[in-house]
Amino acid sequence: MALALALIFFYVPNDADQGYSQRIFYFHVPIAITTYCLFGWGAVNAARYLWKRDPSLDLKSYVPMHLGVIFGSLTLVTGSIWANISWGTWWFWGDTQLTTFLIIFLFNCAYFMLRFSVEAGERRATYSAVYALLGVGLIPLSVLGVRFAQSNELIHPITFNSNGANMDGSMFLTFLVALSAMLTLAVTMYLVELRGKRIDDRLRTIRRLAEGRA
Amino acid sequence: MIAELAAKSVYGEFAVKSVAAVYGLAWIVTLAYVAILNAKFARLERQLDEIASLMEAAADA
Repeated sequence: MALALALIFFYVPNDADQGYSQRIFYFHVPIAITTYCLFGWGAVNAARYLWKRDPSLDLKSYVPMHLGVIFGSLTLVTGSIWANISWGTWWFWGDTQLTTFLIIFLFNCAYFMLRFSVEAGERRATYSAVYALLGVGLIPLSVLGVRFAQSNELIHPITFNSNGANMDGSMFLTFLVALSAMLTLAVTMYLVELRGKRIDDRLRTIRRLAEGRA
Repeated sequence: MIAELAAKSVYGEFAVKSVAAVYGLAWIVTLAYVAILNAKFARLERQLDEIASLMEAAADA
């Protein structure tokens, strides 16, 4: 992360079109990609849960969904700050990518309403898993669907297209370092939170047993 | 330093402040997450102490 910040502020040149504000891109896009990865990983574990019915996979599906919402909130806020500079408005409903990302984000926020409205157990895990799988189906709509939209609807910058990355070498290097840093941060947060929740579960079990003996 | 950076930018000081807001926000969210996790682990530690007390009481009885 330190290397990414050093490259962003001391190495990469100002963008010819967007100037200094383009530096927002090096955090905004990796955060957005990390959000998709977290929702994707949540859905993979949801599918594994439905197949194997192992309760630990339900937890492995829940934690990335929770982190995905945190990263998704950051994506929306950082994107709005960038839009305020570039478009002169915090939000533009006419932008397909913005709107589809918001739909995915809100859909995944509702995951928690569903999860906590059902009592803990197999039924809750099954409902949550099915919902997580439905949510991940919306991601291709945001990533690929907007590229098939009519060109006059596209005002959101497209970082990658069929010709590769739309940036020069130093910018692409900085972007890759920032993306690696963000993915590493997300994986670390995932592992720490997962471990915390497992310890919490085991402590509850031990407490029940200890109270039974005391 | 902000004034120097702003002079070099296309959109001036507003862009510098906006970039600072984005990176500051990411930093604050990460710190808040660490603080919440720290509180959670402190709670787990307290629960562990309570369980240890219960086990000791059961062993003494």
